[in-house]
Amino acid sequence: MSVGYVLKEGFAGLGRARLAALTSMFSLFIAVLLIGVLFRLGYNAYEVTQMLNQQVEVEVFLDDMNSTDTQLMEERLMENSGITGLTYISKDSAAQVFQQEFGTGGEAIAELDFLPASFRLSISEEYSVAQVDSLVQEINTYEGVNEVRFNMALLQMIESRTETLFIVGGAIGIFILLVAMILVFNTIRLTIYAKRDLIKAMKLVGATNAFIRRPFLVEGVLQGIIAGGVAAGVIYSLFHWAIPYFMPQIGVLSWPFGRWYYLISGVVVLAIFLGWWGSRWAARKFIKDMGVSS
Amino acid sequence: MSNEVIQMTDVSVAYNGTPVLDSINFSLDVGEFCYVIGRTGAGKSSFLKLIYKDVNPTKGLVKVADFDLSNLADKKIPYLRRRLGVVFQDFQLLPDRNVFDNVAFALRVTGQKKRFIKQRVIEVLGLVGLSHKRKAMPDDLSGGEKQRVVIARALANEPRLLLADEPTGNLDPEASASIMELLHQINNRGMSVLMVTHDYEVIRKFPNRTVQIENGSLQDIKVL
Repeated sequence: MSVGYVLKEGFAGLGRARLAALTSMFSLFIAVLLIGVLFRLGYNAYEVTQMLNQQVEVEVFLDDMNSTDTQLMEERLMENSGITGLTYISKDSAAQVFQQEFGTGGEAIAELDFLPASFRLSISEEYSVAQVDSLVQEINTYEGVNEVRFNMALLQMIESRTETLFIVGGAIGIFILLVAMILVFNTIRLTIYAKRDLIKAMKLVGATNAFIRRPFLVEGVLQGIIAGGVAAGVIYSLFHWAIPYFMPQIGVLSWPFGRWYYLISGVVVLAIFLGWWGSRWAARKFIKDMGVSS
Repeated sequence: MSNEVIQMTDVSVAYNGTPVLDSINFSLDVGEFCYVIGRTGAGKSSFLKLIYKDVNPTKGLVKVADFDLSNLADKKIPYLRRRLGVVFQDFQLLPDRNVFDNVAFALRVTGQKKRFIKQRVIEVLGLVGLSHKRKAMPDDLSGGEKQRVVIARALANEPRLLLADEPTGNLDPEASASIMELLHQINNRGMSVLMVTHDYEVIRKFPNRTVQIENGSLQDIKVL
């Protein structure tokens, strides 16, 4: 097998059936662009829900207790795996918070010293509403705990929105991927059909099907690189320049996993995979079934 | 090695239940030249397709260049075709590459080395008298020249048998005669040639064994 020949033919193939190759690259481009944008938006939406989730705090109001009992209570609370951190707010601090929130008008009441000491608990992001609820029930049974409060409605809303986001986003993603696969398969089949004379001539002189397929695979990968490269450029420009410029309020959202190149390289790799796979699928089927006579 | 390059015994071919060839027997010796004649639709092309295994017989035994086609796996078909040279009426040259590359193509796809390819292409182009046109594109050639390039391509892999499906069908009488002379020259070098034609003038001018396909059967005839 001549690697040089296969590569040369693969590169030349792009120029030989330009329209078919362009159609194929355009389908690949649209498919990976949509998937890339969807992934970025989905990731950012997920990030927002996680951020909101982190902001939900559980407040544990305590009966009057001495510092030793408070220390024991803190240790007992930290034994729960769902609690990632806690802050103790003494009666004095509670009065200060009250004053800050109510301004000077609250001073008279604050002096009454009726506010209880409390713990503010940070709950693990992975905890569901039901788990938080059961944790709250448990803490409520602790001796020295007067009341436990948390914003269950907000947590429930975040949880249900996250679930919807995953289901809808996942379904759209799978749908786009399926459509892209069929589209890529068909357009690459058209590219191969446009070269049927070449394939017939190759079969006639004794080229094996595997040999005939190889330049098409190279061409599919090249189409993937070009389509993926352009899609990556568009996604980068969109989220790095266009959105921060036109919608600065949401422009601060980060790239998935903290770096721009994860998504960008993911898009290119996906396009290459689709190009390779589409060519392989179409070439296998089409070349095998094709006769050599006119 | 058998003295027969083609051997068909009791072979039938049918398309969707309609018989095209019915229990035919045929053999072609090494170095033999044979014409196949018959009306349009008589089954001449199917007969050739049987040989390069583009169709399968519904029954019977087909042996070509020591390959038993009845049991030949699809993966082995390319190796059979490397032992055959096939020439069609409509040339089937690749329009986007020059004469040299059209011929070299047959060797490249069978994985030959670059140096050997260059040497062999120059050799076969010399044989068909087109060494000076090796850089020309197919569109710049006359019909006769195109057919010579196709013959050169067919000869590149040194086949044992040359199959020609109406190779002079698209040519003027002068070009036709020159192609026939070339085919006979190739035959004189020891290669078997099986040529489908409906041009009786060609047969009279270059007489050889002739078989006729009619109503699904094949028989030797004399053309006067």
